[in-house]
Amino acid sequence: MTTWSAPIWLYLWLAGMAGGAYFAAFLAERFTGNGNGQLLRIATYLGAPLAVVGVILLVADLGNPIRFWHLLTVFKAVSPMSIGTWILLIWIGVAVVMAILWWAEASLSQEAGRGLRQITGALSWIGFVFAILVMAYTGVLLATSSQPLWTGTLLLPALFVASAVSTGVAMLIISGATGRTRLVPGKMVSRLAEADAILIVVELVVLVGYAIWLSASSTAGTSEALALLTSGALALPFWLGVVLLALLIPLGLEFASWGKKLETGGVWRTVITSSVFVILGGLILRAVIVIGGQI
Amino acid sequence: MPKARLIDTSKCTACRGCQVACKQWNELPAEETKQLGTYENPPHLSGNTWIKVEFRERPGEWLFRAHTCMHCVDASCEKVCPTGAISHQGEVVLIDQKQCIGCGYCVLACPYNVPHRDEITGTARKCTFCIDRIGNGLEPACAKTCPPGAIKFGERADLIAMAEQRVQTLISDYGYPNANVYGADELGGLHTIYVLTERPSALGLPETPEVATSTVLAQWLSGVVTAGVLAALPFWLLFKRKKQIEAEQKSKVEGGVR
Repeated sequence: MTTWSAPIWLYLWLAGMAGGAYFAAFLAERFTGNGNGQLLRIATYLGAPLAVVGVILLVADLGNPIRFWHLLTVFKAVSPMSIGTWILLIWIGVAVVMAILWWAEASLSQEAGRGLRQITGALSWIGFVFAILVMAYTGVLLATSSQPLWTGTLLLPALFVASAVSTGVAMLIISGATGRTRLVPGKMVSRLAEADAILIVVELVVLVGYAIWLSASSTAGTSEALALLTSGALALPFWLGVVLLALLIPLGLEFASWGKKLETGGVWRTVITSSVFVILGGLILRAVIVIGGQI
Repeated sequence: MPKARLIDTSKCTACRGCQVACKQWNELPAEETKQLGTYENPPHLSGNTWIKVEFRERPGEWLFRAHTCMHCVDASCEKVCPTGAISHQGEVVLIDQKQCIGCGYCVLACPYNVPHRDEITGTARKCTFCIDRIGNGLEPACAKTCPPGAIKFGERADLIAMAEQRVQTLISDYGYPNANVYGADELGGLHTIYVLTERPSALGLPETPEVATSTVLAQWLSGVVTAGVLAALPFWLLFKRKKQIEAEQKSKVEGGVR
């Protein structure tokens, strides 16, 4: 009898990817300073609908979906689900307003457009802060419970954030590098792929830390929970889906194409393949953790 | 003075009268059950089963423990509930069936695995401490019915004193060196107190239960710091730093030309 099933792990995956893509696009454009906003637009236009689909899944999974509005009558700082409701609402709201302003800007004169651009610029900072919270909250939600796999360490939010940014970058790479007209310059895509390689290393380190912490924890049930992943019922999806598909294979592929021009040889194909693996692996990670915590 | 319930596992005969009384008073439907190889039934608590005698077998002896809501002072279910549907009414932890949206968070947050989502109502349900009985000066149905007197209801302080005395007797006269009282201090004090003949873990209870929200701030910090530092680092390295290096190289080349 599982309390949180497929809609929940699908949601964790979608919301993480949406927040991660926004986070990555925002930083990439702020740091280069010459962002034409194209990457952030892609992240927003794809991320907001993904988050909305996630929210629909969450509501559908409630025992009483019609009562979902009860969530909006309460703000409770100690309950991650209550906080998360508001985080999601605000982030989606900011993204929608930004999309509308971008759309309005395109139909305005240069002069009038400047004012709108300043508003979207300020909003994009709010969006950035809330994108971080969207990514972090999914891990905090699980970690604030009594299931040893989730509560045994302080690293589950870290693991989910690392995976969220990694899958978000992968989504940007795929949307930027495919299609008849390239939406994002090849150089940007190459750098995103390199960033993803480093992110995967970060995620790998966090995952190893998480496993060591679980095995060393004195909390009852943590070593059994870890064994479930490494040698128990979930060993196959864990080793094949998470370790190989989400981490080791993309890591190899990204480093193989490191520094190479996207247009040369099979580099383009390698980067896309690796990104698809990262996204699928991110889904399997959420599924393994959500299912594993309830066995 | 707060009331409480004392469950003395050394007196329990696993007759399961408490299960029946609970179902009758609270008008809970029967469950489709499974043969587990013993008289233990149904397999676990559910939205329709609010108390259940758990059986644990060991050589030469059965260990029985009625599993039900502890009515904790620091109740994890109440803390995580996102709609405020779970609240304390005096010592009783109650789920407001009109407020509950059935998100399942309390189910996963409870250290004792007590609340469960009911498929029919779509809400989380659990023992109400028979609040409609105790509010009228009666004892809960489980305590009222218990034939060997293993479940008692009364003043919490009196029950704890009684439990401690019983534990002394179990240790000195009946050969239970591990006997102990559970619930006097756990989670701010429980309102279901146990006399256990064995260590809590041997009877399916956590030795050192934690409130689900005990690490919530640290967990938030973990996620936000990871995003702000570890995940932001590659972007700084590849987008900001690389651009700076390129700019420096470019200015050097230009300097050389001049």
